[in-house]
Amino acid sequence: MFEQPEAEQLPEREAPGLQTIKELGQTVTPGGPLAEEMPFHCLTIIGQIEGHLVLPPRNKTTKYEHVIPQLVAIEQNPKIKGLLVVLNTVGGDIEAGLAIAEMLKTMTTPVVSLVLGGGHSIGAPIAVAADHSLISETATMTIHPIRLSGLVIGVPQTYEYLDKMQERVIRFIVQHSRIPEETLREMMFRTGELVRDVGTVLVGSEAVRAGLIDEVGGVGTALNRLSQLVAQREGGMH
Amino acid sequence: MLYTVLPLEEVLEGIEQEPGPTVQLTLGGITVEAEPLGNFQARVVRVLSTDPRHFLEPHCQPGFLIHGQIV
Repeated sequence: MFEQPEAEQLPEREAPGLQTIKELGQTVTPGGPLAEEMPFHCLTIIGQIEGHLVLPPRNKTTKYEHVIPQLVAIEQNPKIKGLLVVLNTVGGDIEAGLAIAEMLKTMTTPVVSLVLGGGHSIGAPIAVAADHSLISETATMTIHPIRLSGLVIGVPQTYEYLDKMQERVIRFIVQHSRIPEETLREMMFRTGELVRDVGTVLVGSEAVRAGLIDEVGGVGTALNRLSQLVAQREGGMH
Repeated sequence: MLYTVLPLEEVLEGIEQEPGPTVQLTLGGITVEAEPLGNFQARVVRVLSTDPRHFLEPHCQPGFLIHGQIV
């Protein structure tokens, strides 16, 4: 147990700072780096994308009910010129993932995505939803079919439902990237590449060659592309 | 429905544990749902607001620890 210092023992000049700590659990420094408006915001999609089901605490999650209003705030704020989406995700809830992807796609604020580490499963539609997509040299993307999970009643309708979900993902990726539908389907159901499963792992430039991602690059390239998109948009507005 | 490369048993490990009760708090005028942790601490679960700017506030992010008396 720590000894709590008595309030009256503290020097008076420290009092305002301590009040901030009591209220918010952090000190806010006025005029610090946060006070300056940054033209680009950065959204990180990490771990599991959490949707309708609250995942156990061991998972690192991206909570879609929090991300969606953030995107609305970014879209509405004229001072935010562009959005960089950094992906390092193992996948997650299909509907939450597609919801984020659709939001990114329909934003008028320029969006650039960067796949770092991994952009697997439902991460693929989110990556391609951006106006321009990048992948780092060592990052991987796993393209695989949707499997049965949760309580499933084994009737033929179940498989039709699964098929429909699969189609939604395929359609979104094909519509928003250069990958031909046949290539994507072939990769999704390829056998022999994954040990316990069907599917394909694409590393860096392979994702670009397949037409899934636009370019191999890092954060510098991503921010340059974002600046170009902003310049194009502002040029078009005058 | 989950679409992930992680094995399902790994993702759902510990799902049987019920999450703790939550309370509504106001942080600088923003209503949040938070999980009391005892010791005058609580963890933000979600923001309850229709103002999208509130979702960009650093002290309202899910997982943020609030210190202080919860009344």
